[in-house]
Amino acid sequence: MTMTTATATGITPRPPLPPREARKRRWGIALVLILATLWSVSGLNITFDRLVGAPGDAWAVLRQMVPPAFAKVYERGVVGKIFESVYIAWIGTIIGAILSLPLAFLAAHNVAPGWVRTPVRQLFNAIRAVPELILAVIFIPITGLGAWAGTLAIGIHSIGTLGKWATESIESIDNGPIEAVQATGGQWVSGMRWAVIPQVMPTITSYWLFRFEINVRASAVLGMIGAGGVGSELVSHLVFRDFPAACAVLLMTITVVLTIDTVSAAVRRRIIRGSTGTGDEASRSTEALVDLTGLKR
Amino acid sequence: MTDIASTRPTRPRPRIRTLGITLALVAFTVFAAREVSFSFSTFWEVWSNPLWEKFWPIPWEWVLDGDNVIRPLVETFQIAVVSTVIGCGLALPISFAMSPLTTPNRPTHLISRAVMNVVRAVPDLFWAKLLVTAIGIGAFAGSWALSVFSLAVMVKLFSETIDSADPGPLEAARAAGGRHTPVVRTGVLPTVLPAYVAYALYVFELNIRASVVLGLVGAGGIGRVLEAQRQFFKFDRILGILVLIFVIVWIVDQISVALRKRLV
Repeated sequence: MTMTTATATGITPRPPLPPREARKRRWGIALVLILATLWSVSGLNITFDRLVGAPGDAWAVLRQMVPPAFAKVYERGVVGKIFESVYIAWIGTIIGAILSLPLAFLAAHNVAPGWVRTPVRQLFNAIRAVPELILAVIFIPITGLGAWAGTLAIGIHSIGTLGKWATESIESIDNGPIEAVQATGGQWVSGMRWAVIPQVMPTITSYWLFRFEINVRASAVLGMIGAGGVGSELVSHLVFRDFPAACAVLLMTITVVLTIDTVSAAVRRRIIRGSTGTGDEASRSTEALVDLTGLKR
Repeated sequence: MTDIASTRPTRPRPRIRTLGITLALVAFTVFAAREVSFSFSTFWEVWSNPLWEKFWPIPWEWVLDGDNVIRPLVETFQIAVVSTVIGCGLALPISFAMSPLTTPNRPTHLISRAVMNVVRAVPDLFWAKLLVTAIGIGAFAGSWALSVFSLAVMVKLFSETIDSADPGPLEAARAAGGRHTPVVRTGVLPTVLPAYVAYALYVFELNIRASVVLGLVGAGGIGRVLEAQRQFFKFDRILGILVLIFVIVWIVDQISVALRKRLV
């Protein structure tokens, strides 16, 4: 597989290299990838025993997981814990959205001057580099164990991505309305309110929803270190090797996550396309690309 | 629209449905905020917390000492490399199986799609915890967990690219009488490979970030050190490690962005 990945890079939109050069480059990239992989594998302390034994061990655990003990986990109040995760994600997303929206205006190159833009952008980058879990590690001793630490962690972390996405959508607007506001003597704030916000709000709202989907998963994880939500349940069942219960928790989490994903995706489509518009199929993958990767740089 | 002065349009009245949805959302938000014990005061009380003093100064001689931090950090990087290679490698054939364009057999692509959606619905650290329990503590379990997760992310991104690939070359190759595998290889693969490499780089960025926290559940890497220091309230050390992580994530991001710019 490494090979295929490597040869891939040879095929680019640029004019093709002469065959020998291209082949040399492909082999070069393949070699780098293989060496990097080998070096990495060597650092992971993988013995032959473990490598061979792992699938068997995983299978043994998987077999103990059926049938899932739904009744048991229901009595322990897992449903409430899952909903707590959803609440954490929701409030976290709202905190992130409220704090990131004004910052995004200060970071966009078409509406903010350079000396404001650069620090705000670096702030977004800095926030994005610290995972939610680490933020929760920092917040837990300050706010105490529980949902509020997780909510803060998710809220703060969301500022990074939400701000970045919002900045990008502000930068891609049509500048005509801003000029129109300026021509009528409007202030900077009026320009933002009447020229920018109407253009970007649908996209930004759909980003918020998308971030909410991500945050639901993140808040489930946060419970594992005691920041509220369903993660703590999974950990406690796994620690006691109560696999049927762990499986039940897992399945319930998956159900909730998938339901939220589906509903939120439908709402996002509705927001982007409007009630009557029928978006073309090609825009779907572009949307996914922009949504997930921020490749539109 | 002839008489502009008098025909300023009246503001449309909000529809009942819009009002209803807004009310429901506000009610849900208020309820959720109470459930997570939301308190505004935290936002200013947080700054006056005496714990912040514990974050400073950063003990650089401890942080930069090889065994304490650097070695686990290298392990983190290695986990990310291995799982990106495994995840993205497996994603290539599976993505082709997931797209109706390259897999006319309907059950195959529907089933593979459903399975992958379920895999993706399980958060990465859940995978890590499960695999740590199943196959033992350490980087080995961590790399498996991240491999599974990056596979799930990768197939989602890449299969959508395949879905929207130009069917022209595929049809041409088919019309010329090609068998299925060579047709896909020559008709679709070249058009989607740049996107594949771009996504692989993106997944690598994600994996670097994810591998940092794997250790919090016992799956190896720098997270193990963070967890240990957290239990002893050594926040100055944690901050030092965070600075190092930040630098590494930043460097990887810059390289990845530069490479992607050349590709896309």
